[in-house]
Amino acid sequence: MNNYTIRHATKKDIPFLAKVVIEAEKGGSEILNYSTLFNLSEEEVERLIIEMFGHGIDGCEFSVTSYMVADYKEEPVAAFGAWVENSKGNKSSNIIKSNLINYTFSKESLEFLASKSYLLKNLIPVREPNALQLECLYVNKEHRGEGLGLKLTQKQEEFNKKNHPALNKVQVKLYANNEKAINVYKKNGFSIAKSYKSDHKEVFDYLPYNEILMMEKII
Amino acid sequence: MKKEELIAKLSSIIADVLEHTNFEMTEELTASDVDGWDSLAQLMIVTNIEKEFKIKFNLNELYELDNLGRLIELTNTKIDQ
Repeated sequence: MNNYTIRHATKKDIPFLAKVVIEAEKGGSEILNYSTLFNLSEEEVERLIIEMFGHGIDGCEFSVTSYMVADYKEEPVAAFGAWVENSKGNKSSNIIKSNLINYTFSKESLEFLASKSYLLKNLIPVREPNALQLECLYVNKEHRGEGLGLKLTQKQEEFNKKNHPALNKVQVKLYANNEKAINVYKKNGFSIAKSYKSDHKEVFDYLPYNEILMMEKII
Repeated sequence: MKKEELIAKLSSIIADVLEHTNFEMTEELTASDVDGWDSLAQLMIVTNIEKEFKIKFNLNELYELDNLGRLIELTNTKIDQ
């Protein structure tokens, strides 16, 4: 860990954060939900995610202020997003994200999503107000095994607990087939709180898996 | 457009997306009052409203859509622009 420094993300990190979101959403698969559900190439998705980060909105996975970044030789190599849900009476992160997507994506992409929305009906996890949401963890391949994921998690918990002293719960959602990550979270005090599953076989053409788990930890 | 006509069209759009009519079109109505009106439904409802009325809400306006009253008001304003 000595060669790495952890810091808050800035606007200069937006291109890296766009890659972080994409790789985190793929969850080790080749399927990117923003590509498949909106009928866009990965390059187009990357451009749109950069645009969404550029709006400077707080409180979701497209917010620069949500992220902590790990640098190696002054270059970002890992990042993890986190925010307190409905903090200070703000809108839910899902609504914030919806608004950004609605504003940024084309009419054609949104109409394509509408035609596939039945696939997502049971796959929108409910986030608890005032719980810390962990989202979009990504570590460059060359820097895995160095404990960066755990370090970024700890830093996010410390930072958010300091700003929200009443904070007592952390939530993270992940695909149910990501056994490695599930076990890591279990070892670090998380338990599975809820499962969201779709029975549409077609869902495997659009998402990495048909089941999402919400894991939680009391802090 | 007359307010009653606008409310009727919005009600139809919302019911289409939610696949039910278990809600009352009051100005104070919010998404959390209605079964199934989650963030995906919000995205679909707003997209369909923009398509129906050939309007586009900007980002600030999207964040102002706190209740049905505000949605009616903003939609009306955009139609008249």
